Amino acid sequence: MPRYHNINGNKVQFTAEEETARDAEEKAWADGAVARAQADLRSKRNRLLAETDYLALSDNTLSADMKTYRKDLRDLPAGKDTVDKCNNATWPTKP
Amino acid sequence: MALIKLNNRGVRNVSAFGSVGVGSMVFIKKLTASSSGTLSFVDGASSVVLDSTYKEYLFTFNNIHPSAKADFTFNMSIDSGSNYNVTKTTTYFHAAHDEADSATEVALGVSAGSLGQSTGFQLLGYQIPTGNDECGSGYLRLFNPSSTTFVKHFITNCNEVSIGGGTPYSINSFAAGYGNTTSAVDAVQFKMSTGNIDAGDICLYGIK
Repeated sequence: MPRYHNINGNKVQFTAEEETARDAEEKAWADGAVARAQADLRSKRNRLLAETDYLALSDNTLSADMKTYRKDLRDLPAGKDTVDKCNNATWPTKP
Repeated sequence: MALIKLNNRGVRNVSAFGSVGVGSMVFIKKLTASSSGTLSFVDGASSVVLDSTYKEYLFTFNNIHPSAKADFTFNMSIDSGSNYNVTKTTTYFHAAHDEADSATEVALGVSAGSLGQSTGFQLLGYQIPTGNDECGSGYLRLFNPSSTTFVKHFITNCNEVSIGGGTPYSINSFAAGYGNTTSAVDAVQFKMSTGNIDAGDICLYGIK
């Protein structure tokens, strides 16, 4: 299906050269889908870890539940090599 | 010039009005997306002005709705829209909060968000999904695009629905930077990082 520009309100069909360039852009975007999903996952994981960092300070003793929770968070990205796996990850419950 | 006083006989009896100031913000053009690959404002045609007439231009984008989950982006041109590839150095960050009220974050290191002397498109709205009610809205301020002395600064802010880890978020994206060129910028283009802009509109205003 041809693509169209809207230039100053006028509908203008992409040239063959523009179609080729856009195809390449869209392929690059699609190829990066897993990396973007993994980045989202790690971002959320890091945020949840940071929320409990204060409990892991040297003058505090972590409970076993909290140790497990934080380890599960750190391990969560492992094996998440598809967008679906990233988006449907099972997040550990904070004790 | 003396003021013309209207009376109860109505406007139809007035023979002349004095000129009325148009204010300092002037509407120039509205583009409405309809499965559009790009939305472009090019100076000098179809009543679009993007030159030294104004020292600042404001683009407002409303309910930008993509055909595929994608970033909303923009770029500038110095050759009347033949190429949108102005070299830019920019910063980007966003604040996010999920619908479950369980997570907030500020993200700085977003992929392709901040550009360092790159000709690529600048991220405005982060990964806008395709649900019927999902979209992004915001604005872009472009300063003195016609200058042949200075770089071209811009500041933009966009709020969008996004999905992270399967969860809907409100994401408030902030980007700013400069087009590192002393050539006049005479066209601006908006597009998604993939797919089309299925719906939404972008308005251009000149600021005196």
